[in-house]
Amino acid sequence: MAEHTAPGPDDPGGLDEREPVITPSGRPRRRRRRLLGLVVPALLVTVWALASAAGWVSPRLLPSPGRVVEAGWAFVAGGGGATLPGVTPFDGAAGRHVGASVGRWLVAFALAVAVGVPLGAAIGLSRRTAELLDPLVQALRSIPITAWLPIALVWFGLGEGAARYLVFVGALFPIVIATADGASRVPRALVDGAVMLGTRRRDLGRKVYLPAALPAIVTGLRLGLTLGWMSVIVGELTGTTSGVGAMMWAAREVGRLDHIIVGMATFALVGLTGDLILRAAARPFVAWSDR
Amino acid sequence: MSPSPVRSAGGLTAVATDLEVRGLRKSYGAVQVLDGVDLSVAAGEVAAVLGPSGCGKSTLLRLLAGLEEPDDGTITLGGEPLRGPSPTHPMVAQGATLFPWLSLRDNLAWGPSAARRSDADAVADELLVATGLTGFADALPRQLSGGMRQRAAIAQVLANRPPVLLLDEPFGALDAQTRLRMHEWLRGLLAERPTTVVLVTHDVEEALLLGDRLALLGRRPSRVIESSRISFGAERGRATLRDPRFVELKVQVLERVLAS
Repeated sequence: MAEHTAPGPDDPGGLDEREPVITPSGRPRRRRRRLLGLVVPALLVTVWALASAAGWVSPRLLPSPGRVVEAGWAFVAGGGGATLPGVTPFDGAAGRHVGASVGRWLVAFALAVAVGVPLGAAIGLSRRTAELLDPLVQALRSIPITAWLPIALVWFGLGEGAARYLVFVGALFPIVIATADGASRVPRALVDGAVMLGTRRRDLGRKVYLPAALPAIVTGLRLGLTLGWMSVIVGELTGTTSGVGAMMWAAREVGRLDHIIVGMATFALVGLTGDLILRAAARPFVAWSDR
Repeated sequence: MSPSPVRSAGGLTAVATDLEVRGLRKSYGAVQVLDGVDLSVAAGEVAAVLGPSGCGKSTLLRLLAGLEEPDDGTITLGGEPLRGPSPTHPMVAQGATLFPWLSLRDNLAWGPSAARRSDADAVADELLVATGLTGFADALPRQLSGGMRQRAAIAQVLANRPPVLLLDEPFGALDAQTRLRMHEWLRGLLAERPTTVVLVTHDVEEALLLGDRLALLGRRPSRVIESSRISFGAERGRATLRDPRFVELKVQVLERVLAS
């Protein structure tokens, strides 16, 4: 084909000289923002340390940061010899507990994704399905996760099955709702455009609906992952002997607040890591929707 | 009228097809929008459709694109009845429908890829040159300006070498300066790839600069109240805007639109 009359955008005689906005690298600003996010936690820990050192709070109600750090080190590296009631170890048991919690979290989350994404897509794409299922989904998602505990124990008995079921329920509804929302908001013009370009109807789901709805689905997955992780501690009320939640319940029985705080910090750290991994994995597919 | 084969500069054969609309009617509930629209567009002709706001210009184009079904009437392309949306008569609307998650190159290759053509990448490269966007092949649509996106959206549908192209106020969101450049670009592009075009616009100047035929729709429920050839000559560009005959014609047409 011959060179066309339209010069390039850099050509002053061409089209659109005022052309596109090239986003400059935001790395230094991003680093500064991240550091800014550490300011408030650092301040809180300082106040906590000062309050403990000055004796303003009883160590039975709130152990000092140093005591918690020691317990945390013992949890990871062992050496203190502490064992909690029942058959739940503490010292050197971080790997075992975190592994058990993460294992039941990921299995239940994967199941929630396998059920939630197709269910959400069906609700988002079909008005009839939405009329049929949406009221039920909205009602079920209003039930607190702790309210599912008794029925989980009846259905699955004490232990692993009930724990996984509770994590599954915790993760499921955000995934369903975000996927339904994302699928229903795919612009009609994109679908029409794809058809007018010759895309076969059976390929529209994979080629148009899925990529267009993916940012919303990823948001649902992130919420589901976090809420699923938050449900782990409820799941570990069901008589499991391993898991961060099981360790915390055992620590509560002997009043070891330092162990409980270590468990809470572990929950925060693992939850944050999971979210970061999910975001990093999803980023290549949804970066186009960044503002 | 029979299809008229034409050869593009790149050696790709495109076939512009005539378009016939007879007695087209369309209502939405109790609101009748179109009431017996008749329109004939010869192969390779650009028909500019003008009309007052809300008269059903976009509805007409959606019917021609096969995105909606008429209540009554017929649409034929090259003598064949229209059957739903297809790459043979795509529509480009004001908000360019590029796929936002794909690079510009992948957007341009979409049509040929959907048709499982082996030359999809070559076609995309050719269209990048035609749009003057070779430096932006890997850019996402959101990284392009409005004018660049519109050019890319038109090029995207031309990748399938459609005999008929439907444009629904494609440059309506652009500023006057960019719009004028886009007119020149589109005229050049269509000169190389003769295509039957129906251009819906509210801009009289745009209609006169791009159209070979002017179809004027009346108020809703509308029909074509005037269809005439624009005999202003093939070479139309920014200099044309200063031509007293063009200015006079523009005023005449504007008065007819207002009177309709």
